[in-house]
Amino acid sequence: MGVGIVCRFAAKPISKIMKLQVLIIAIIGTSLCNCIGDDIIFDTVDESIRITNPIDSLQIDSTHEFRALFLNNIGIEAETDLDWQSSDPNVLSIDANGVATGLQEGRAIMYVEVALEDKEPIRDEKLVVVTAAEVLNTEVETTEREGTIRTTSSYVLEGSFILKRENDELRLEIAEDYKASSSLPGLYLYLTNNPNTTNGALEIGMVNTFEGAHTYQLDNDIDINQFDYLLYYCKPFGVKVGEGEIGE
Amino acid sequence: MKRLCFLIFISFLFSFSAFAGGGWPQPKGHGFFKFSQWWLISDQHFTDTGLLDPNVTQGIFTTSIYAEYGFTDRLTGILYFPLFSRTYFNNTVSATTGEILTAGEAINGVADTDISLKYGLIVNKPVVLSATLTLGLPFGESQGGTAGNLQLGDGEFNQMLQLDAGTSFQLGKVAAYANAYAGFNNRTNGFSDELRYGIEAGTGFFGSKLYTIFRLYGISSLKNGSNRNNENSTSIFANNTEFLTFSPEIAYNINEKWGVSATYASALKGRLIFAAPSYAVGVYLNL
Repeated sequence: MGVGIVCRFAAKPISKIMKLQVLIIAIIGTSLCNCIGDDIIFDTVDESIRITNPIDSLQIDSTHEFRALFLNNIGIEAETDLDWQSSDPNVLSIDANGVATGLQEGRAIMYVEVALEDKEPIRDEKLVVVTAAEVLNTEVETTEREGTIRTTSSYVLEGSFILKRENDELRLEIAEDYKASSSLPGLYLYLTNNPNTTNGALEIGMVNTFEGAHTYQLDNDIDINQFDYLLYYCKPFGVKVGEGEIGE
Repeated sequence: MKRLCFLIFISFLFSFSAFAGGGWPQPKGHGFFKFSQWWLISDQHFTDTGLLDPNVTQGIFTTSIYAEYGFTDRLTGILYFPLFSRTYFNNTVSATTGEILTAGEAINGVADTDISLKYGLIVNKPVVLSATLTLGLPFGESQGGTAGNLQLGDGEFNQMLQLDAGTSFQLGKVAAYANAYAGFNNRTNGFSDELRYGIEAGTGFFGSKLYTIFRLYGISSLKNGSNRNNENSTSIFANNTEFLTFSPEIAYNINEKWGVSATYASALKGRLIFAAPSYAVGVYLNL
């Protein structure tokens, strides 16, 4: 029975109109069948650890709780086990929670270390002077960080900048030597710890100035040491255009 | 008669391009209709300096109807209607974690449409000349998708005036033609105006069954628009786009009325436009 139906169907001539309908459906079908694929972004960066509230001196019998920020292999803040150590536990002791205590006069280097799988451990360190004299144990505050913007594409993008905290305000000051191509559609500026991607980055906003000095007023809650890069990114094309490492 | 048939045919061939072209208007009461599929997929683009930069992979697929009809022997009406167009961009995926960083998106719909009137200024002469007025109707979505960067049109109403000069001749036993055009495209909504130009040559083989065509055409921007009107424009709809493209085509007449064609186009140079070949296949009907 089935064979008979197939044979009768096969024997029946297909009209020209039907051929045309099939062609039209096939052509439109090619559009609809073009599915969204994947573009791979190589976004691996080295893990890093940094002490975020250093002090340079500590009075004997005083304590200071150090904090540290660990960034994983895509530059995102992540929880991990921190190993706090002192180079001279007789001068400066530190416990597993990062609480340091001045014990006697002298100098000690305080380390924080993170063990990585299949890699050498990473660490950050700060020199601390322990003294009998009265000190305020205030945190060493960074007020300025600077860097240079450079293009990583064929579009013009250059200049220098300063990230500045002043009067409780955080500002990104782009200098007079700044120049950027205005031809690029949808150019956006980010703060990030991974200059390869906007994943985990903080969007400052769309770039509307393409030459000369200008300033971005940033959220006062942002720590000046929280990010290490400026990232210029073209949203419509989905590509990085340039970057600027934020130095000390 | 054979020469007349060839002239009629090459007027059909010119209609393969997106813009009404060729110095030959349709004879009165005659028409040409084409149903075609055009597509382009690109993961790089020409920058404003003409160099190549990568971009997230984007694709555009357009199913269109193209129609020419001779109202008189000199006046031809032309319609280019992209009845279904799809554009998309890929997911971006972290090589480190496999996580989707930016999800791909797509939009579908009608794209920008052109209607034209072509008038034969010089007809039935060794060299023919025609003028064409084209109105670009912004039917296509110009800011689709979450970030507004998916486009089926540029969102502006443009008017283009174009002059075409063409001639037909024999290359030995092979019929051939050549055409050149230049046009001025007045764009609105802050987009820069454009100069458009092109040359084209075609030959017929096997008793005019098979035609080969070679085109070289381009756009030069006058860069007189307001620059930041293209905040999300990419692909083929950006402002200040420029290119020079080489495009061969093959057309095969199945019978007197029906034929099929295939076209390839690749930019030799460009600015602010995708850098990838485009393809088109179509079936056409002569009336």
